Amino acid sequence: MTESLHIRPPLLRVENLRTYFYSQVKRAFARSVDGVDLDVERGETLGIVGESGSGKSVTMLSAVGLVTAGPGVITGKVTFHDEAPLDLLQGLDSNVEIKHRNGRIMHIAKDNQAWQKQADRNLRGVRGGKISMIFQNPRAALNPFETVGKQIAESVRLHTGMKSAVQAKERALYWLEQVHIDSPRLRYDNHPYGLSGGMSQRAMIAMALAAEPRMLIADEPTTGLDATIQARIVDLLDDLKSRLGMTMVLISHDIGVISRLSNRIAVMYGGRVMETGPSAEVLDESADGHPYTRALLASTPRRENITASGHLPAIEGDVLDTINVPCGCRFRERCQRINDTVRTRCETIEPELFEITPGRRIRCWLYSPQ
Amino acid sequence: MKRATWMAAASVLSQELVTTAALLLGVTLVVFLILYLAPGDPFAALLGGRNLSGAERDAAFEALGIPTTWYGQYLTWIAHVLQGDFGISMRSGQPVAREIFSSGVKTLFLTVGSLIITLAIAVPVAAFSAMQPSSLRARAGTLLVYLFSALPTFWLGYMLIYFFTRKLGLFPILSATDETQEYGWLYALLPVVLLGLGNGALSEIVRYLREEIARVMSEEYVRTSRAKGASIWRHAYKEALLLPVSQIIAAKMPFVLGGAIIVEQVFNWPGLGRIAWQAALDRDYPVIMAITLLAAIVVRIGSFLHRTVYVAVNPRASQQ
Amino acid sequence: MKMKFHQDADTVSEYSQLSAWKSASTGDRLNVAYGLAVVLVVVVSYVLGAFGWLPHDPEAMDLDTMMADPLTDGYLLGTDFMGRDILTRLILGIQAYFLPGLLAVFIALVLGSLLGVLSGYWRRRFETLVTYFANLIDSLPRMVLMLLVIAAFRPGIYTIMVVFGITTAPTIAMLVKGKVMMLRERNFIESAIALGLSPGVIIFKHILWYNCRALLLIQATIGMAEAVLIETSLSYLGFGVQEPTPSWGNMVQAGANYLLQGNFWPSTAPAIAIMLTVLGFHLLGDGLNNILEGRQNR
Repeated sequence: MTESLHIRPPLLRVENLRTYFYSQVKRAFARSVDGVDLDVERGETLGIVGESGSGKSVTMLSAVGLVTAGPGVITGKVTFHDEAPLDLLQGLDSNVEIKHRNGRIMHIAKDNQAWQKQADRNLRGVRGGKISMIFQNPRAALNPFETVGKQIAESVRLHTGMKSAVQAKERALYWLEQVHIDSPRLRYDNHPYGLSGGMSQRAMIAMALAAEPRMLIADEPTTGLDATIQARIVDLLDDLKSRLGMTMVLISHDIGVISRLSNRIAVMYGGRVMETGPSAEVLDESADGHPYTRALLASTPRRENITASGHLPAIEGDVLDTINVPCGCRFRERCQRINDTVRTRCETIEPELFEITPGRRIRCWLYSPQ
Repeated sequence: MKRATWMAAASVLSQELVTTAALLLGVTLVVFLILYLAPGDPFAALLGGRNLSGAERDAAFEALGIPTTWYGQYLTWIAHVLQGDFGISMRSGQPVAREIFSSGVKTLFLTVGSLIITLAIAVPVAAFSAMQPSSLRARAGTLLVYLFSALPTFWLGYMLIYFFTRKLGLFPILSATDETQEYGWLYALLPVVLLGLGNGALSEIVRYLREEIARVMSEEYVRTSRAKGASIWRHAYKEALLLPVSQIIAAKMPFVLGGAIIVEQVFNWPGLGRIAWQAALDRDYPVIMAITLLAAIVVRIGSFLHRTVYVAVNPRASQQ
Repeated sequence: MKMKFHQDADTVSEYSQLSAWKSASTGDRLNVAYGLAVVLVVVVSYVLGAFGWLPHDPEAMDLDTMMADPLTDGYLLGTDFMGRDILTRLILGIQAYFLPGLLAVFIALVLGSLLGVLSGYWRRRFETLVTYFANLIDSLPRMVLMLLVIAAFRPGIYTIMVVFGITTAPTIAMLVKGKVMMLRERNFIESAIALGLSPGVIIFKHILWYNCRALLLIQATIGMAEAVLIETSLSYLGFGVQEPTPSWGNMVQAGANYLLQGNFWPSTAPAIAIMLTVLGFHLLGDGLNNILEGRQNR
């Protein structure tokens, strides 16, 4: 289904990833990620954008086995093309038994220990070393009981050849300089609580990069930071991107951040990818695009969007309930561009990702080839 | 640790010491009050060894230089206690301090040993319950822990004795006071095991530990350590193990000391518990007061140690 | 072992319309059911004992049928080493801890709530004082304090239970205080005051009844379990109910020598009774905790 213009396979390929969480209270599955396909090419930055609850974070967390919240299952295929292709979700399916009825999942039996063990086995050596991740809320994400420097040094010792404490410290200081933190030697001995939000995010970036990974996943790296600090972090990421030629997956609900840093964008809604393509094209409001993406772009607080009457055109309706997923297109209840030609199809059949130009796909009946 | 944090920690801990002293003072008041309100005249006994009343008593007090007011008596008593003089046992006529010291060591052995056993059981069960709640290990372990916490310690003790002496024939049925037995040291383990299993707080301990471990494991920084490919326990052990365990030791020390009384009764173990029981039977005030004070001191020491661990582990604690 | 997730119907009902009971796990429901069954048995036995509606005379010694196994001859649970009916004595043994235990729990809850509310609501004045007293009481191991009180006063079981209740109050006080602090943090208290509610209404209706009742109920179950253990331990040591009046503790003690000779039953019957009862209260508390408190945290 993917036609890559590159000769080499993508660094990360996600195929039909599904992550379902079981809610004990409601006795039902929340389909957080419901069949996602993504490719991350070498050297590019893929931006995944969507509202809260769209499943954008869970997608990448599932891919690297960091989904631990509550009972649930992950199925699908995630291939990491390092020296040799590695299926990160390999063997997990054998520990899970799924029963369907009418296309709905009714019953899941899961051997949790075996599942966890297999997941850890698959991801050993990959997590941290080949794929690094940084998170939102950096001060909470760093170990409060250790100095920041030691945590970075740990990354160095675990994943590079440098095992001695002295070497690791030097390397950690080097990375602290690379992320333009002020007084690296001083910050090395700070605990996370002694750093500001921006500084601790820099420290976390340093920690992730110190392992010299093939790919960096940044999960809402600027959310929660002050606006001016956000801009600085974005600048830093931009700088590191060009200097190091990093492959990056950037997850954010902030379109500004995504547009600044991404080469390609994937728009997610309700656990599915709605649109992918080069960022210039996706963000171009005058061109073709998924109704959701258009609505999203129209609703961001920018001068152009505030109409004469002073209203910001917010998207009508509520975020999709991932337990009661409607049939047909997920977005149809909030879509402003439904017309009679497509209405029946929108209400009954979920559209595929139609390729309108090479590398550009939209999941909407308005763009189907017929 | 850096000098600045060391100084800050020292100041926090010296505050703790002051609080501890204040609490112990309060304890002495409570103990004294209870005895003062008791029928009969414990203070003649406490300081003289005889039981008098009325004018005779006042005269005898004056002759001995004992104040007649309650606060006077209290201060005199405290003064003696601070010098290590806990009075004379009404039963044996011996100084209380000496008796307590030799038996105290035996009870200390029981207490420390039983804490080790309790933790050796509680930590794994809690860890399994937290990390793999649906596993057989976790469920069986939790069930057993609940059963043991509900069983009366004294009955369990007799069953243990029966099993080991009759069925296994391991230890001669002679009492534990005979220290020249060949397997004497093994026999000493039984009460430790009993107290470790049967101090009644086992299920609470497991529940608390399990909640703490589960909570810490879902903290963001543990997720980051997973993402780093680092060992999660290496990052989590401070908050998931060290702190809760030291909290448990501090908080459950009273339970363990109380349980020791029962265990020593079952095994005829010549420790403080047995002496306390005897003192309650004989209404031997000096002894029981001294043991109560000692127990309170041990509890507060446990508390203080916990605070020390907390301050040592937590970089923020010194920023009061 | 497998985890099983099952979705109930083709269309799933919205949100948490399931009651606390329905959305509880089977394990919790079993625990609560068992606990309630135990409570029922205890209450019924208490009544039977109070009115003397017993199968046999507790002190009647049937010298022909000593050390009988259960289900011999009209003795449902057998007889002890003096030929006395064990079932009767077990039922009667509940008298020793039931009302005293309730008294202890009552005192603990009232005193604990009072102290907790004082230190949480009027923090400036009371917090240090209450914390001091709570720590003070906590410094004295319960058993040791009991022995001290017994040495001094030779009190009856009710007095002992009053002391016991006082020693349990600090834990409750700290829990209640925690709740008050949480409500304060969430601005509930501020809003209530702003709405013009009187402190009395805020404290009794909103803090205690709405927010603390689950907590207090659970502490009550824990307290009863503790009361059983304390009473039986004390009577085992010889300080509570005296022979020939039965208490589960002194029954175990009396049968101890026989146990060591291989005759388990006279000691084991009361021990099992203790275990089942304490377990019942513990599981009740645990199950209720998961059902009631777990819901709030969601």
